[in-house]
Amino acid sequence: MSSTIVFVLIAFVLLVLFAYLATRRTRDLPDLDRTVTAIRSLDMEAFRNLVDPEEEEFLRASLPAQAFRRIKRERARTALIYVKELSSASLQFARFGGAAQRSPDPAVAAWGKQIANSAIYLRLRALDASAQLILSATFPGLRPRPLRSLLEHYDRATGLVLNHNALRRTHSQAS
Amino acid sequence: MVQWYKFVLYYLWIAPHALLPVVSVLMLMRRLHKSFPVFFLYTLYETLGFLLRFAAYGFASGRLYRYAFIVTLAGSTALRFGIIQEIFNHVFHGYSRLETLATASMRWLTGLLLVAAILSVVYSSGSISDNLMAGVALLSRSVAIIQAGLLLFLFLVSRIFGLPWHSCAFGIAFGFGVFASTELAVSALHLTDLTEHSKDLLDLLPTGSYHVSVLVWLGYLLAAEKPLGAATHSVSEMDQWSGELERTPQ
Repeated sequence: MSSTIVFVLIAFVLLVLFAYLATRRTRDLPDLDRTVTAIRSLDMEAFRNLVDPEEEEFLRASLPAQAFRRIKRERARTALIYVKELSSASLQFARFGGAAQRSPDPAVAAWGKQIANSAIYLRLRALDASAQLILSATFPGLRPRPLRSLLEHYDRATGLVLNHNALRRTHSQAS
Repeated sequence: MVQWYKFVLYYLWIAPHALLPVVSVLMLMRRLHKSFPVFFLYTLYETLGFLLRFAAYGFASGRLYRYAFIVTLAGSTALRFGIIQEIFNHVFHGYSRLETLATASMRWLTGLLLVAAILSVVYSSGSISDNLMAGVALLSRSVAIIQAGLLLFLFLVSRIFGLPWHSCAFGIAFGFGVFASTELAVSALHLTDLTEHSKDLLDLLPTGSYHVSVLVWLGYLLAAEKPLGAATHSVSEMDQWSGELERTPQ
């Protein structure tokens, strides 16, 4: 009887989850204000410094081991906050891209596809970066892989949006 | 058998199968049978399977009905796995790197769910009666575990990465999710010692949830994909957004 109760409970939780995901789908529209606020609040230069491997090597060489570990932990935790914001922004990028893909204008639809693709890779890199930073905060002695590709993907995704804006302006000036 | 029960039982058995041809016709009209061929085949197969079972129920012996039920159930189960694969292909189409990652994760998950299903069979096999229908319930429970798990995985991965779903694909997956979850509970309850009255009431659940699933499919097919309104709105928002972004120091 106990296994039956477990299966019935699992089934109930699954039903609730499916219903929740279905209702969330209609509400999961891109949140313009939140994304702009989040991106504006990001000091990308500070983030680049936080995850710069050369900066880390310099700190490792010039600080005593204990002080280095403490600072490395703090840097990793701060960088994690940035990565979470980037990850959240990438989700909004993906939603915008997804909405644009449904546009009747083939140029906008193609651009939407590019944005969505770029955003998804940015999100993948952000998830990978989060795991690395958690590892760094837990074991400061480890030398994690540089987060260069995360920054490259962020630049690419924002670049795509900016290119769109420039193109749109050229079109409106021409017409 | 009480009159209301008989009415509800027949209604829940016949109504979804009467609506399935409408789903097939709608798919043909919207040319969705080309995008979702396995699901289209499933709607036709289920309609024909129902006619076969209904004929066996009305005109043949109970034994023949049971065999018709088991044979059509096997085909239906196989098609449902095909539909999950079809939805997977739709959701990850065009995202090659993510597709590779998701394919590998899905293989591992299928393996894990299979092990969980086998373990649940091994664990339960001592306590259930040794007849054909109990075996079918055990198998149904295992299939429901795997299918519900795979569907949940699809929903969660697409949500994590903000993947856009074709509304028809979402409707199909959601309908099967509801059906698989109910099937899991019902098949688990069927393996316990229930009174005849409880068993009768329990029989209404899978047909009821199937009815809900068919209505979900019908609803998502009838509700037009929102290409113009939603996209135009979002694109104008994007213009505003990219303008804001441009003013943001990089």
